Amino acid sequence: MRAPAIRALAVLSGTETVPAAAPTASSSLPVHSLGRPGSPDDRRRRATRECRLALASVEAMLADGHEKPAAIAGERTALLYTTAAAYAASNRGFIERKGGSIHFAYTAPAVVPAEVAIEFGVKGPYAIFIGGPPATLRAIWHAAILLESGACDRALVLAVEIFDECADLYTRARRLVRHPLVETAACLWLESGAGELAFRSGRGRRPNANGDRGMSELLGCEPLAALDRWRREPSPSPLELSGWWRGEEARLIWRGVSG
Amino acid sequence: MRRAEPIAVTAAGVATPIGQDVEAFWTSLVTGVSGISQIERFPVHDLLVGRGGEIKKLARVKSWQRIPDCRATRLLVSAADELVAQADFRPLPVDPARVAVVVGTALGGVEEGERALAGDPRRRRLRGALYDAPGHALARWLGATGPAITVSTACASGATAMAVGADLLRQDEADAVIAGGYDILCRFVMRGFDVLRSLTRDAVRPFDRRRSGLLLGEGAALVLLMREPDAGRTRLGTLLGYGSGSDASHIAAPDPDGRGLERAIRAALDQAGAAPGDVDFVSAHGTGTPINDRIETAVLKRALGARAHAIPVNSIKSSMGHTMGAAATLEAIMCLLTARHGLIPPTLHLEEADPDCDLDYVPERAREARPRICLSTSLGFGGCNGALVLAGA
Repeated sequence: MRAPAIRALAVLSGTETVPAAAPTASSSLPVHSLGRPGSPDDRRRRATRECRLALASVEAMLADGHEKPAAIAGERTALLYTTAAAYAASNRGFIERKGGSIHFAYTAPAVVPAEVAIEFGVKGPYAIFIGGPPATLRAIWHAAILLESGACDRALVLAVEIFDECADLYTRARRLVRHPLVETAACLWLESGAGELAFRSGRGRRPNANGDRGMSELLGCEPLAALDRWRREPSPSPLELSGWWRGEEARLIWRGVSG
Repeated sequence: MRRAEPIAVTAAGVATPIGQDVEAFWTSLVTGVSGISQIERFPVHDLLVGRGGEIKKLARVKSWQRIPDCRATRLLVSAADELVAQADFRPLPVDPARVAVVVGTALGGVEEGERALAGDPRRRRLRGALYDAPGHALARWLGATGPAITVSTACASGATAMAVGADLLRQDEADAVIAGGYDILCRFVMRGFDVLRSLTRDAVRPFDRRRSGLLLGEGAALVLLMREPDAGRTRLGTLLGYGSGSDASHIAAPDPDGRGLERAIRAALDQAGAAPGDVDFVSAHGTGTPINDRIETAVLKRALGARAHAIPVNSIKSSMGHTMGAAATLEAIMCLLTARHGLIPPTLHLEEADPDCDLDYVPERAREARPRICLSTSLGFGGCNGALVLAGA
């Protein structure tokens, strides 16, 4: 498979500050929160935190690429969204009627990329993969398929994970995730490239706690964070991205990566 | 866009309110059986509408031992049980690492989350609440160790799952893919649609002048996908193409012009290498809401051109409600059965014509016809639009 080229990338992480929202890491819960980005207009009034963070990550990606929103508008832009659990917050809010104001549609994972599509006029092919790092690696792979087939000219891979609203539940489900949980929103802009991409996924063993999975948990955002780290300190090709979630491991090998 | 390699659909399995195997599902569709009833599995007394397509008892699987106590998982396993029996696929006849599972859902295991938040202390409830839990449980039940993928493009999820599954085969990531969709009726979704005032107190009447909304249903539908040369002679049909397009219009309502759906249809036909004039039958999303059916009709007329009025179109959502993540796969299976049996299931409860919906919707009675190329459309929250192009065997 021909590898795509990286046009731009932004990773907003709960361990850094983001525009309009200071981190609010709780002292009692092992969560590094991204807070709630402010809204410049009334249209986003009802948008959930995960939606606003998605929008903020796309804005940051555009800034990284020195581009205006018009550059990603239209039907030649594909949008691939991945998350393991960002919807849990709005699901819980709706179930418990917390605040009483969560619009039911916002409980659907599909609404996060929908807000991005509406805001930036993205109208091309789309897919939404649910899961941890393997889902995001698959989204990159799927983007490469769409680009190579000519279904789009550019593909955005969007990943969002938030934890604050369900921090107590993650404490109960310790076997599923490790701590601290780092809220992250990230967006990757891919275009046709000249390298080579290989991908493999399937059932596999969980890496050691202190092994290649790291000491914090970003779930679906981890591959994009790893890509961001690689961009800051590039190492010799090929770039290898791997991830594990619920018994499934995935590995993406990217030769001749550019960006 | 390049024409894609056709993918064989070799077997299917379903669990629906109108039948818990493909044969019963088909017989109910063509004879006009309704699967709509008062919901009994959870309280609905506080809702404006308490009816839906509920499966009263999952009858196919004899023992639920070692299968999680999660209704979504059990619906999937019930459908898979039929599929593997049809295809002689359990134990797996191929390397388990080369068997993939791709399922689509709008709700995942959300009912497990409801139970956990209601005080059920078992940790597996929390793990089961994540949307990918039932898909992983299905892969374990099958003994498949290839990719286990969950997609969630709202009510277009079943179409996305089939398309992603086809891509796994085209990219040689797997030799066999079990793909499809599922969703259950639970308090969460019933309350959600109740709040949206989308549910009707009347019958679901797709394309009828008096249509007043949808009813929800639950179900699971799976197909076994294989590359054409590996599929052998026994098959239901072929998946020729898929297309998707985002509305970029509204989070909960379709684009008034349906441009996203139109792009999805055109992309699916392109991938199939088919022209609009090749389409012999359309399985419409046809929810029975005033806006959906009007938009869908307009889109079909634009996408299919002058022949649109001559092409039979149906909606099976009046039979069993909108089964959300399962709907697109159920409708794809229905398309293939239509081609096999030479009979188009009717659109139930369509009695009064609507000037805005002026296509041939096969009202009330099944019709003899043997379509070759079928188009199936799906729309979902977030402006998700998907279209499949299928060919009968």
